[in-house]
Amino acid sequence: MATTVNKATYNKAVNTSPFYAVQLRKFATYGLVTMFAVLFLLVYLSPLANMFMVAIRSQEQLSQTADSSIFPMGAKKYEYKGKQLPIFKVEIDGVTRELAQVSATRRSSVFIDPANPEAGEITWEGNWRTLEPVQVMEAHFENFAEAWELINFPRLMGNTLFIAVTGMIGTLLSCICVAYAFARFPIPGKNLMFIILLGTIILPGQVTLIPTYAFFASIKWTGTWLPLIVPHFFANAYNVFLLRQYFLTLPRELDEAAMIDGAGPFRILLNVIIPQSWAAIISVGVFHFVWSWNDFFGPLIYLLGQKELQPVSVGIQVFNFQYGQRPDLIQATSLMAMAIPVIIFFLAQRVFMRGVVITGVEK
Amino acid sequence: MTTSTATSANIGPESRLTILQRQRRWGWVFLSPWIFGFFVFTFFPMIASFVFSFTNFRIGEPIQLLSDNPACVAEFGSLRCLFGNWEKMFTDPVTSNALGVTLRFMLIAAPISILFPLGMASLLNSKFLLGKPILRVLFYMPFMVPAISGVFIWQSYLNGQTGYLNRILRLLGITEPPNWLFDSAYMHTAFVLIGLWGVGNAMLTMLASMQGVPTELYEAARVDGATGPVVFWKITLPMISPVILYNLVLSLVGLMQYFIVPYVMSNTTRSDPSANFINLHLYRTGFAFGDMGFASAQAWLIFIVALAFTVGIFATSRRWVYYASGG
Amino acid sequence: MKRNVALLLALAFVLALVPLANANAQDKVVVTWFIGLGTGTNVDQIPVQEAVAKKFNESQTEIELKLNIAASNQAAPDVLSTLIAAGDAPDIVGPVGWSGANLFAGQYLDLKPLVEKMGYDLSQYPEALVKQYESPEGLIGIPFAVFPGVLYINKDLFDEAGLAYPPTEFGAKYMLNGEEVDWTWDTLVEVAKILTVDANGEDATSDAFDPTKIVQYGFDHQWDTIRADFDTFGGNPFYDAATGKVTVPDNWREHAKFMYNAIWVDHFMPNNTAVNSDLLKPHPFASGKIAMSRTMLWYTCCLADLKSNWDLAVVPSYKGNYYSVTDMDTFRIMKASKNPEAAFKVLTYLQGEAALDLLKAYGAYPGLPELQEPFIKGLQEKYPSVQNWGVAPASMAYAISVHESYYPNFAKGQLRFADFATLLRGDQGASIDVDAELDKLAADLQTIIDEVKK
Repeated sequence: MATTVNKATYNKAVNTSPFYAVQLRKFATYGLVTMFAVLFLLVYLSPLANMFMVAIRSQEQLSQTADSSIFPMGAKKYEYKGKQLPIFKVEIDGVTRELAQVSATRRSSVFIDPANPEAGEITWEGNWRTLEPVQVMEAHFENFAEAWELINFPRLMGNTLFIAVTGMIGTLLSCICVAYAFARFPIPGKNLMFIILLGTIILPGQVTLIPTYAFFASIKWTGTWLPLIVPHFFANAYNVFLLRQYFLTLPRELDEAAMIDGAGPFRILLNVIIPQSWAAIISVGVFHFVWSWNDFFGPLIYLLGQKELQPVSVGIQVFNFQYGQRPDLIQATSLMAMAIPVIIFFLAQRVFMRGVVITGVEK
Repeated sequence: MTTSTATSANIGPESRLTILQRQRRWGWVFLSPWIFGFFVFTFFPMIASFVFSFTNFRIGEPIQLLSDNPACVAEFGSLRCLFGNWEKMFTDPVTSNALGVTLRFMLIAAPISILFPLGMASLLNSKFLLGKPILRVLFYMPFMVPAISGVFIWQSYLNGQTGYLNRILRLLGITEPPNWLFDSAYMHTAFVLIGLWGVGNAMLTMLASMQGVPTELYEAARVDGATGPVVFWKITLPMISPVILYNLVLSLVGLMQYFIVPYVMSNTTRSDPSANFINLHLYRTGFAFGDMGFASAQAWLIFIVALAFTVGIFATSRRWVYYASGG
Repeated sequence: MKRNVALLLALAFVLALVPLANANAQDKVVVTWFIGLGTGTNVDQIPVQEAVAKKFNESQTEIELKLNIAASNQAAPDVLSTLIAAGDAPDIVGPVGWSGANLFAGQYLDLKPLVEKMGYDLSQYPEALVKQYESPEGLIGIPFAVFPGVLYINKDLFDEAGLAYPPTEFGAKYMLNGEEVDWTWDTLVEVAKILTVDANGEDATSDAFDPTKIVQYGFDHQWDTIRADFDTFGGNPFYDAATGKVTVPDNWREHAKFMYNAIWVDHFMPNNTAVNSDLLKPHPFASGKIAMSRTMLWYTCCLADLKSNWDLAVVPSYKGNYYSVTDMDTFRIMKASKNPEAAFKVLTYLQGEAALDLLKAYGAYPGLPELQEPFIKGLQEKYPSVQNWGVAPASMAYAISVHESYYPNFAKGQLRFADFATLLRGDQGASIDVDAELDKLAADLQTIIDEVKK
């Protein structure tokens, strides 16, 4: 169809330039594209930076004004008579000194000089809020340890990992088969069935929740992982749809060649279709893994009262109680919980590089 | 689960089957997991919710068909009573407003949900990009943030006074940046911004698809002297059109069911009718107000609208989606 | 490949069935206790409740008490709805206040027959308190926790401003500018303005004050429904069950205007953007940037990390009367409970033996008089710097709880109230006509109530 390319205008500049100019140009393109990507990324991920900055704040540091530093700063302190006093830059007789504030009212403050405490207390007239506080960076990485301990993080992670991985295996096995059926076989009523398949995700889940829960309760699956895992062994519309779309982009010539060689449908799936589709299969795997990792309402309702079985997404909620959130711990837990999906994705995405090579070579 | 069917197909009268019949039989074998799962896990809840839409189902109370209400039947007749919840949908201004809000939001959000990840995927697919393995992870990372913490961060990030975004905008010289979450004029823009963090899946599928474009096509184009934009328009786009179709359908279905963000935000945006999306309205009707019958009718309204979109897109897809296998 | 599927399936089944098998091993009557409609999901509270359940289970052989904690307060009502609708309802729910409980009105068991049958002594509770729980459905709870409305004050901020602390006794005077004045809401306004400061150190009484750069607020109605806020000017019902009519009580009009001025004219109370900004994180009073917060005693749950020197004070008077807007929490038994007698046994355990541990964890003032003294002692140990715990019991004499009263179509109506609150405190709040909006609120409430009466 659209694969034929129009004769574009020949770019003379490239052809006539001296060799080094071509190299330079190429180099500049690398630089520009990468720089653009990095700049874009900085903006795109700035909320993530915000998240990290919240995770390393103390409860006190959570309160910020629009002029505060984005880093977790704390007032530089000086210990005086058993009290930690904040230090300010105070101008006295034209000289700016760093003094510790002993007490303050709106009109005057009492300071002490940490460099020379023997000189005694100094009274300064003026409103202390106009003074610049001396601040030091004070990151609270111990939030991660606190969250880790408060919610028994290793157990939550183990549960999440088990639910996500078994579900992922189930969804890959079943969805590959079903997508293969939709992409390659002349089943009567196929289009109608495909619409029904999509229909299962078009109906909002809120109204099927109660009958679904009642069903799982009646077969005594509530309070176990089964409702969160077993249905994935029977395919779902999202992944079947994606894989079908991908399989349809694969030319049939290779299937047909294999068929002539006497390969059955299973062999064709294993030896022809799957090797060409790793990028899509990995996408489905990653997608299910991440989805399952963050799925919240399912585990909340099906694992109610089963604290030992709950995943991170439910465990994190103890920092989100109605009266008194702990934003620092919510974000610290989320960042820790993200570590495993990030690593898995990092490993999995190498297949994307290979995807190009395989397709290129085989055709 | 497919073992028994598979073996039985291999013995006996197999030789007498035509190739077509045999292919069909294999098709059913591969389809069987879904058909089994559909009837066990999905079919009855769907039918049940459809039946609910004709009942007065309130949580904790016995269910009764609307046409079993003698007072109603005496006044309106049993058929009109039976469709009471459906009728209410068209007379209730809140429901029609919620549907309108959803459709209007869709008009902005749907194109962005395709174009933004398409741009990101093209960037990540560029041969001029250095450090791809790391960048891919970083671009995908927001998608891995748990929804609950994600929405919290965005609430903080978009705050009119202390949010990072407005602090950046003030640095850029905009002295009075918008109050994103509390000004109804900007609320949908804020939702779109939050939505940009949810495009990871679309980006990934497009990228996967771009990687599958045979390199020989690009080589051929280069030999013909085609420039970047032309190659993108004439080769990349048609070759990934099946995945664009996928993302378009999912995006429209997802927007019809748009829920999590307005739900978590609803403690602050509550009074704003422009934050009352149809699925949130459905949820409140069913769970907060306990009227499951009416909620089920709304769910089926969402179903009908989204299905119409889906069928419509599939109908046009013959013109713009290219399948190398011939479809 | 197919063998793998079968293997994995088998593995998943076996692993997932292990806990199920355990639960079925015992032959006891299982009583489930659902937590999440009110307090109880906090990270410090969960272990206390678990210990209480464990102790109960060890104490006897007939009943197995099982905790169902719906970790998310926002999702808990949905979980409970699903459980009820799917025929899997819990036996006991709580602790829950009236507002949370009204969402499930009609689902609670009348305890009166059980009280009589089991010979439970109700006379140990103040009679007036027991009366609060008698609804058309019967006696649906036994007084457990009372949370009087008090003023939380940040003494450091008063010191810095050179102001006296608000009174800790009802009827006591307040020293303002060297003069003895009554502790009224008007006085609070004066004090709150001085305690509201911008980045340059100017307070809200000054002409140079910049309301766009506020770094400290004088006052907030924290974490409460607008109905509770209104009732700090006197609790008058808005709905007459006999006639079915909605009217706007005077205290609504007066207090809505008070809030309008506080937020948009005098700027001593934060608007929605400010409440949700990082300035007031982790939560308003705990940020140390609010001088006075009017909320209930349950807020003692959450102040462990506040470094400032804080204390309690009495609420101001309005037109010569004090109104301490009070929440009241109970445990309830669901009508759908299959073992109401066993559930009642658990209930009496929670009300009696386990009560003090739970009340301390919830920061709730005991309904049972004999527990009140040990309870205050517990709070003193938790917050040694707080001196005026006497404010809590003293406030009980002025307790009102009209703000939690039931009316038809409750959940929908409460959302409409919340809409008014966000309108008043939201981005367009400065430009609204308070009286007209209140009339609109009343008209909408009338529609909402009429909707279900038909």
